Amino acid sequence: MGLFLLKHWRTKMPSNLHRNPRIPFMSLLSSSSTAPSMPQTESAVFHTPLFAKRPPFFLQFTRGFAASSQPDLDPQTSDGLTVDGIVARSWPILDEGESDWRSHAASVALSIQLMKRRLQWKKMALRVEQLSAELNKPDLWEDPVYAGKISREHGMYMGKMKEVNGFEQDLLEHIDMLKLAREENDTELESESMKALLRMRRIAKEKELEALLAGEHDSCSCFIEVQGGAGGTESMDWAAMVMNMYKLWAQRRGFEVTTVDEMPGEIAGIKRATIKVDGEYAYGYAKSEVGVHRLVRISPFDSAKRRHTSFAAVAVIPILGDSSSRFQINESDLRIERFRSGGAGGQSVNTTDSAVRIVHIPTGVTATCQNERSQHQNKAMAMAVLQSRLDQLEMARQAQMNAQHTQSLTDISWGNQIRSYVLHPYAMVKDLRTRYEVSDPDSVLEGDIDGFILSYLSSTVDKDEETNI
Amino acid sequence: MTLCFTRTIHSLPFKHPRLSLSNPSKRPISSFLPHSSSQSPPLLHPISPKPHLPLFLRPPTSSATFSDLQKFHSWAKGLAFSVGSKFLDSDNGPDTDLLCREIKWLLEDAVEHTSILPHLGSSQNPNLTGSELIRLKLDLDDLYSLWNQRIEERRPFQYIVGCEHWRDFVLCVEEGVLIPRPETELIVDMVEEVVSKEKGLRNGLWADLGTGSGAIGIGIGRILEEGGRVIATDVSEVAVSVATFNVQRYGLQDKVQVRQGSWFEPIEDVMGKLAGLVSNPPYIPRDQIPRLQAEVGKHEPRLALDGGDHGMDDLLHLCEGSSIALGSGGFFAFETNGDEQSELLADIMTSKSENRFRDVKIKTDMAGIHRFVTGFRR
Ligand SMILES: C[S@@+](CC[C@H](N)C(=O)[O-])C[C@H]1O[C@@H](n2cnc3c(N)ncnc32)[C@H](O)[C@@H]1O
Repeated sequence: MGLFLLKHWRTKMPSNLHRNPRIPFMSLLSSSSTAPSMPQTESAVFHTPLFAKRPPFFLQFTRGFAASSQPDLDPQTSDGLTVDGIVARSWPILDEGESDWRSHAASVALSIQLMKRRLQWKKMALRVEQLSAELNKPDLWEDPVYAGKISREHGMYMGKMKEVNGFEQDLLEHIDMLKLAREENDTELESESMKALLRMRRIAKEKELEALLAGEHDSCSCFIEVQGGAGGTESMDWAAMVMNMYKLWAQRRGFEVTTVDEMPGEIAGIKRATIKVDGEYAYGYAKSEVGVHRLVRISPFDSAKRRHTSFAAVAVIPILGDSSSRFQINESDLRIERFRSGGAGGQSVNTTDSAVRIVHIPTGVTATCQNERSQHQNKAMAMAVLQSRLDQLEMARQAQMNAQHTQSLTDISWGNQIRSYVLHPYAMVKDLRTRYEVSDPDSVLEGDIDGFILSYLSSTVDKDEETNI
Repeated sequence: MTLCFTRTIHSLPFKHPRLSLSNPSKRPISSFLPHSSSQSPPLLHPISPKPHLPLFLRPPTSSATFSDLQKFHSWAKGLAFSVGSKFLDSDNGPDTDLLCREIKWLLEDAVEHTSILPHLGSSQNPNLTGSELIRLKLDLDDLYSLWNQRIEERRPFQYIVGCEHWRDFVLCVEEGVLIPRPETELIVDMVEEVVSKEKGLRNGLWADLGTGSGAIGIGIGRILEEGGRVIATDVSEVAVSVATFNVQRYGLQDKVQVRQGSWFEPIEDVMGKLAGLVSNPPYIPRDQIPRLQAEVGKHEPRLALDGGDHGMDDLLHLCEGSSIALGSGGFFAFETNGDEQSELLADIMTSKSENRFRDVKIKTDMAGIHRFVTGFRR
């Protein structure tokens, strides 16, 4: 373990770019259980017999840096640039297509910062320090169960830190390389390094996302529900547009979409609808969308061509995979009925409509499904929706989750506007929580909402960080 | 295990042949039966007529551009909208909403890749030029004429696509065989319930009389244990061939045997041995037939619907025969036209059957109608 970290070792050049309190890396390095009596002070590390055993060239791998007597934790480039330093410079982040190393670097650096925040870096470092101290106790292995637990936890955190540190290291090396190439007019090396930076930028985005979606139920599939606000056809049309936006978005992400329930409006649009979105992290993403979405446009349903403001409420329900955490439904508490059936039924009637409604009598929670092609399947789907609604109710009760995400359609107050879509007199979609905005409503309504989702998720990470430290 | 049909010597149309239970069966109990001896399997008869392949099972043989398909889609929707609630008001037929859903399902069955379908409705899509070729399982012209038949002739949707989604499986159907109803799904639920409680029923021999497309028989076949078997019968040749096809499609030929003949006649060899007997016989009172919803009255086989003057002819016949057909402890479930019929039937089975049945119950369907009568042979 120490070996790997050393590879990414950077000594500190005195630098005032350095903002954060340092992670006590030395204690990480010393935490191997094979070296139980390793000293804990930073400067002492390099003089321990353990490291003395390593081949000396190994340290030289840290290109161009001699181990100083005052090593620091933040890796940096040959001219002293650190990840925090890059972020602090606020280089503009341009399109991926632009060959601008500063832009790539800034993007990667931001991702790294975010990953660190998501991992609760400082807290994690403290914990690792504690674990290392434990592991260093000579009598630790007298209780092998406890020792195993400690060492596993330690290993897990080390793995995570190692990954981020390695990434940080790679970024700085590529920057060094690029600068070097420029100095030496080596265009081939320059373009190689540029490509490498771009590659990193993409990988970093992925990793950033992984880090953002670390909530307890984030990896679940989910139901998305949309309901039109007051205002007749115009708002029902808006509800349908919002629902369509999610269907297209889900398709882009490769999620499977099934319409569960849909109450069409009389003239156009939908009164409300529920879709099931199947796929990894569907809930993690979609939960960002909970709240009221507002539309301003000249209504095609208004012959006087006036500007209208409409609202649609969105709720998202995770489909919990783990059966132990699910609400226990009593069969006898259910009323299962055919929905909208007429006439004698049986042989006298041939209809493809086999809608089912299930009422959970004690809570009054209901679920309907009409989009499956058999009654049996409609019932199964309605049951699944009901189960998830009850699970969500239970979660809200236990306040296990961020309260806002657990809101059902009926809880969402129309005052809780999260995003505004203006088609007239100017074109703009703006998230009221993050201030993230886009000037092309069409692309957003065609499902290009990842920008909104990511900026929202990042903003919640910041909040978590504030509350957790 | 090979398939076997036992064909009746009677010719169609006929109803209510007399029970000939006194005749000792000349047919050997085949290896098909549970716990059977090593007797040779019955002869295999060729399946005729050959059932039509439903749309969704056909290979893609044709194609159309995305914009042509879009045109079809908006034309079909136009027809659906022109219907409004006209059919609903006249005979409880489909309204615009339902027809729109059917268009979606029709296209789902007709195209090779369904991922394109959500884009049909949206007006502007930057990623589609309209000239993309979509592979279809039928010619575009046929698609038009099918939807036209749906609206103009009220041809049932399930005959148009050649299948009905029923419980968690898909049954092929065609003209000449009744389209299974959602209510009937519950018979399988009831069987599932009793079967889960009693091993003897799980491993036993069941009969589904008047199986039509094979729906109930297949449903039961899928829940029985290793040793359990179902005999599914019908007097109609089309029904027998469609049921056979469906049984094979689900690989249940070792579990579900299809036999042709009238009510108890093709199961003479197992009389008194049945662990369960279920049936959804024709139960519509004859005088109601002319007033049925067009999809039913004009297109579904009368043989599957007409239950005689009060609609109870076949039910009464089945009720009478079941006391002989079922072994002790055997379960029965019959579907009826609803409240009056089920009350009458339950009454007969409790008070007028010399105590041969126990636990006779009326069960409701999901619309709250007293649809079924169930119970056990003492
Ligand atoms: C209402 S349909 C039920 C079909 C199927 N069991 C279902 O639930 O979908 C009644 C069936 O009984 C069959 N049937 C009518 N008369 C019969 C008879 N005498 N013997 C056997 N089957 C008969 C019809 O052909 C038809 O398939």
